[in-house]
Amino acid sequence: MEVQPELASGEVKHLQRCINDLVSLLALPAIWSGGDPSQLLHTLLDALVRMLHLDLVSVRLTDPVDGAPVEIVRLADPRGPMPSAHEICEALSQCLKENSQKWPPLLRNLMGEGDVSIVPLPLGLQGELGVIVAAAERTDFPRQTEALLLSVAANQASIGLQEARLLSHQKRVSSELDQRVMQQTAELAAANEELKRELAERRFVEERLGQGERELKRSEVRKAAIVDSALDCIVTIDHEGCITEFNPAAEHTFGYRRDEVLGKPLADVIVPPSLREKHRQGFARYLATGEARVLGKRIELTAVRADGSEFPVELAITRIPLEGPPSFTGYLRDVTERKRAEQELRRSEAFLAEAQHLSRIGSFSWRVATDEITWSEQLYRIFEIDRNVQVTFELMGARIHREDLSVLREHIEQSRRERSNVQLEFRLQMPDGAVKYVHVAAHVRGDHGQLEYIGAVQDVTERRASEEALSKARSELSQVARVTSLGVLTASIAHEVNQPLSGIVTNAGTCLRMLAADPPNLDGARETARRTIRDGNRASEVITRLRALYIKKEAAIESVDLNEATREVIALSLSELQRGRVILRSELAQDLPLVTGDRVQLQQVVLNLLRNASDAMSTIDDRPRDLLIRTEPDDNDRVRLSVSDVGIGFEPQVAGKVFEAFYTTKDEGMGIGLSVSRSIIERHHGRLWATPNNGPGVTFSFSIPCRQEGLTSNGTHASRTPSVSDAA
Amino acid sequence: MDALPRQAHCCVMELRQEKKALERPLVSVVDDDESVRESLPDLVKEFGFAVRTFSSPEEFLASDCVRQTKCLILDIAMPGMSGPDLQRELKLRGHGIPIIFITASTDKTVSPRLLEQGAIECLFKPFSDTALLDAVISALHPK
Repeated sequence: MEVQPELASGEVKHLQRCINDLVSLLALPAIWSGGDPSQLLHTLLDALVRMLHLDLVSVRLTDPVDGAPVEIVRLADPRGPMPSAHEICEALSQCLKENSQKWPPLLRNLMGEGDVSIVPLPLGLQGELGVIVAAAERTDFPRQTEALLLSVAANQASIGLQEARLLSHQKRVSSELDQRVMQQTAELAAANEELKRELAERRFVEERLGQGERELKRSEVRKAAIVDSALDCIVTIDHEGCITEFNPAAEHTFGYRRDEVLGKPLADVIVPPSLREKHRQGFARYLATGEARVLGKRIELTAVRADGSEFPVELAITRIPLEGPPSFTGYLRDVTERKRAEQELRRSEAFLAEAQHLSRIGSFSWRVATDEITWSEQLYRIFEIDRNVQVTFELMGARIHREDLSVLREHIEQSRRERSNVQLEFRLQMPDGAVKYVHVAAHVRGDHGQLEYIGAVQDVTERRASEEALSKARSELSQVARVTSLGVLTASIAHEVNQPLSGIVTNAGTCLRMLAADPPNLDGARETARRTIRDGNRASEVITRLRALYIKKEAAIESVDLNEATREVIALSLSELQRGRVILRSELAQDLPLVTGDRVQLQQVVLNLLRNASDAMSTIDDRPRDLLIRTEPDDNDRVRLSVSDVGIGFEPQVAGKVFEAFYTTKDEGMGIGLSVSRSIIERHHGRLWATPNNGPGVTFSFSIPCRQEGLTSNGTHASRTPSVSDAA
Repeated sequence: MDALPRQAHCCVMELRQEKKALERPLVSVVDDDESVRESLPDLVKEFGFAVRTFSSPEEFLASDCVRQTKCLILDIAMPGMSGPDLQRELKLRGHGIPIIFITASTDKTVSPRLLEQGAIECLFKPFSDTALLDAVISALHPK
């Protein structure tokens, strides 16, 4: 064969290049190893375009291993807008399938109108992997070397893809395996946890079981100890009524030993013969019907001891809650003592109630913190309140006399504040208007917070009534005594004076009639006129006699402690003052000099002043009836005593008049007291006077010298003592 | 005489006329006070009646005047038998003599009780002659 040298040298170069390309292609798998198919195909297509000067090369993997189909296109020199790889691949495969030489318009647009040679290169043995399509605008395409390179490239790609596929499969399998291993590991771990927990639970349960057993044992020991040391008799019986347990207390109470009675029927041991039949019937009924009359209840009945003596017991029977035939526990207590105590208590309660009824004394208790008040039956009777009502202070308040309510409230509040025993008297007013006097004495018990008053309330209405009658009688008597001793009882004055007055009037009337007669009875008239004069003298004599009566008393002169004398008077009149609701305050000066005088007469003056002050306040209800008595040294070696009241008082212009005999502001007064008082004080060379207070009421004062320069004798003084009005 | 009401004066005149025809009615006075026993009979005589005085109820009861007495002027308070005691006693004996009580007491409360028991009047000393005359007239001429 004739070979031109130029041609030959070109041919050599071409071949050399072809061999280089082949080496490059064969080296590709080394680059590919581990890569994924798309990466692999990218490098392959780039190499093919460069080596073979292709105008277009595309690849489509028909059966991609994972996910979307791989379609890649390389164009050497695109001449228009680039369609997507997918569109190009679709157009190429269409053109290959129809086996037509007609170039699809899409590709024509891309590469121009010239002839294009297309070489499809199936991938895989049957093209199952996909196809590579190479195209060039050359008629000589593919030349021999180019076809060789293309087929080698396709083989290499097939191998690389297979490897990549395998690799990817392996990866997937291994990752699946990993996942499964992980999953199983997790499952195993969970199972392990479960096992651990079960184990712990089992251990716990076992521990509990052990503890339960121990506790059961302990509780049995404890129960035995309780049964043995119980103060109550504990007897257990089985379903036949035979004794299975008999504790020491039962031994002691019934007088049997435990071993004597175990196994014997209960009825024969502790039930009195008279009740045995009933006991047997009840027991039989329970076993037959389950109907129990005594179970779970506290009952009292009679039991019998070994020596045959019977005694009352309290009994409680319970069924032992175990399976099998029924058995019972009976708790028995000898209540002989208690019954006796109960009876005693009932008896003493009855005594107390009777005593309270008879003495009209009710008792109460008052818990200060809770205001819980308890009353005895008699107290309800005194207050005339229904026994079933719960007592409260409001309820009590409705029964307290209106005038005593505030004082009582004050006492209650004081008792609430401080621990102090109580002693007071107040009035109740019943719904029908009746007034009762009650005396309350209460003792305090407990500490603060637990303070309790326990006390007695006595209905002293009758005593009070008789006291009042007595005191009235006493005051009447004292008044009479005072009046008679002074000879100035108004009634007796009137009587004494009215007799002669009556004679005067009658005689004068007769005289007139005698003179008017026709002819006038002159002798008769003379006689009656004479009798008129005589009666006039008689009346005058009566008055003189009365005067003499009340100045006749002998004065007993001695040293007198006026404070002491005053205290005696206060003590004497205290109950009278209290009855008049007078609040007496005394301010007696210390170291008061003694006075010389008639102690009893001076005391009469003090008493008179106190009485007058009390009387002056008897109608005062809008303010406290305060009375102040004070003694003090006065000027010029004198001693002064004054009594202040807050009573009705008098007008200043009558201040002198009050000392006149028979002047009185009182409805029932005699008006003689002050005038006599003044004459007594004057006999002591002293002075008695009255001044209206700045506030309500009057102050009466007397002032007497301490040393009496020879107290005037009664005889010489008689003429001036009664002239009380002089001093006014 | 001017002090006397006209009606009373007429009565005196009438009585004076009566006394001419009849025996003068007897008025008895029982009082322990001597001045009363002295002065009252003169006045009663001036009224135109016969009069007897006694110092005590006992003395009056013992006398022979009980049946003839047409009017009794009786003191209340006396030692021994009192005026009301005599009033009761006379009633028991069946003598319905009209009684005029007189008293020196000032206690007015006794009056209604005595009037309730049938007394004609209760006069408190000192009383006027006309008050006594009115009482005696109503005692002798019950309405």
